Amino acid sequence: MATDLVGTDNRHASREKVGIADLAVVTDDTQLITSGLGSCLAVVLFDPKQGVSGLLHAMLPRASEARDSKPPKFVDTGIDALVSEIEAAGGDPTRLQSWLVGGSQMLEFSGGDDSIGARNIDAARRILSSRSIPIVDVDVGGSHGRSIAFRPAEQSLAVRTADGSTKTLS
Amino acid sequence: MRLDIRELGQFNRLASNGAKRAARSLSQLTGTDITVEVTDVSLVTNEVLAETFSGYEFVGVQVGLAGGLAGETVLAFERSNAQTLQSLLLDTSGADRSLAQSGVSELGNIMIGGFIDGWANHLGEAINMTPPTYLEAQGTRILPRETIRAAGDKGVFLFESRLEALNENLDFSIYMLPEYGEFVQMLSRSPTEPAIPANKLRAFDGLAKRGAHRAAEQIGMMTGIATDVNVSQIRFVPLADVPAKVGDDRSVGVVFALSGMPSGYLVILFDELSAGSVAEAMMPGGMAEDGIGPMTEGAVKELGNIMTSGFIDGWANVLGTSIEHSPPNYIHDMSSSIMSPVVAKLGQRQEYAFVIDSTIELDGRTGQCDIYALPDERELAKTLSALPAG
Repeated sequence: MATDLVGTDNRHASREKVGIADLAVVTDDTQLITSGLGSCLAVVLFDPKQGVSGLLHAMLPRASEARDSKPPKFVDTGIDALVSEIEAAGGDPTRLQSWLVGGSQMLEFSGGDDSIGARNIDAARRILSSRSIPIVDVDVGGSHGRSIAFRPAEQSLAVRTADGSTKTLS
Repeated sequence: MRLDIRELGQFNRLASNGAKRAARSLSQLTGTDITVEVTDVSLVTNEVLAETFSGYEFVGVQVGLAGGLAGETVLAFERSNAQTLQSLLLDTSGADRSLAQSGVSELGNIMIGGFIDGWANHLGEAINMTPPTYLEAQGTRILPRETIRAAGDKGVFLFESRLEALNENLDFSIYMLPEYGEFVQMLSRSPTEPAIPANKLRAFDGLAKRGAHRAAEQIGMMTGIATDVNVSQIRFVPLADVPAKVGDDRSVGVVFALSGMPSGYLVILFDELSAGSVAEAMMPGGMAEDGIGPMTEGAVKELGNIMTSGFIDGWANVLGTSIEHSPPNYIHDMSSSIMSPVVAKLGQRQEYAFVIDSTIELDGRTGQCDIYALPDERELAKTLSALPAG
């Protein structure tokens, strides 16, 4: 659901909020936003020629690891679903660029190597590589949360952390 | 009767779809973007109804149902929210009364209609709705007497959808309460596991209350700060909605993994000011530090440990099982991102979660601490099923 607002740069922009285990695709300059990325991973895909953008907020690396099968919950089925939706919206899957944000290790229990965040990043890299989708930039790992806004008009991704600092990936 | 947890999930989805339809319709009517943040369903007693509704004025609509589902269903808005919506609708504060009534009735129709349509489809049986009756009342008087009676007896199911305007300062809840007896019948038509016996539902309330009161007592003992458990209830919510439920504000949190029956996670979140206050109260001579630093971290971890032990003791009393907890994981970050790995861990085994959600007020409402317990749903169902009937 998109709406008009005056952005921080005083230009009219619109925003669409994507929840956890969800995805959205837009075909205009609507900003795609999502918040509360911890171990979850955000995958942004963009076709610069057609101006089609998509954002996935995935919780776990692979659908085969869980009992339910809602595609956007997982990095693997989520990327597949996102690419399909972008294609349906007129985007070209062979022209896509990608950005990855999130995949933190927020918790450390029992000292085991069971970081969902790291596995999410790894799954995304493998799937994007197998689809020959280049990764433009990433802000992944660490042990902090992130919120993001992808601005198709500028082909840039703003990442905000809890301490108020922001950085721009482009 | 055994209540099918998958069915409860299905009804939660129907309620969520109804809320989304209402939000879309509101967005069109008001020209401002309104989204559904969370829809959850909780089994609540008359005490929780009083905590939730008392002190507020409500407007609402009551709709009678007949056919596949019979009873009265109520949809309620806090009056001030209904007025804000109404002024957005008319773009003027001088909304006249009849328009306000028709706006609320219309919303009620959309929301309850969406829920009932989905429900009828799911049941393959027609459900007829009477025209909505517009209501205005204070506190729990907005609810049908039968609802209050059922809440005092066995508890009632309360669906709550929290809606938020993306670009206006407006955040409100829509409550819906289906008639208890009918709803329980529907949940127990052909139960599949995990299922919870209907006569164990009161034990749920015990779980929510005992744990939180024990944890609050521990804060009092460690800090000398007066505490009061404000709201404590069990919600059934899609796991993916839990982070949105806690919001994006920065918190000082500790996360514990629970093992035993049931296993799961306990998350304790202090707002930054409260974290500073409890740390200061725990230091000899009331030393304070500037901002949130190592002193606060140490204090919150120590307090979290003791609160969690208290919480688990409260559960052990109700469930008759033993539960252990891990050392604290300390995180100072956005509340939603603190929840992110917890829902991911649980998300490997389940799609919905029972979230035991308690708010402890500190020092006469100057601060607060929220405790979220997320047990493994199958283990919780199993543990509750094993309890003697009561």
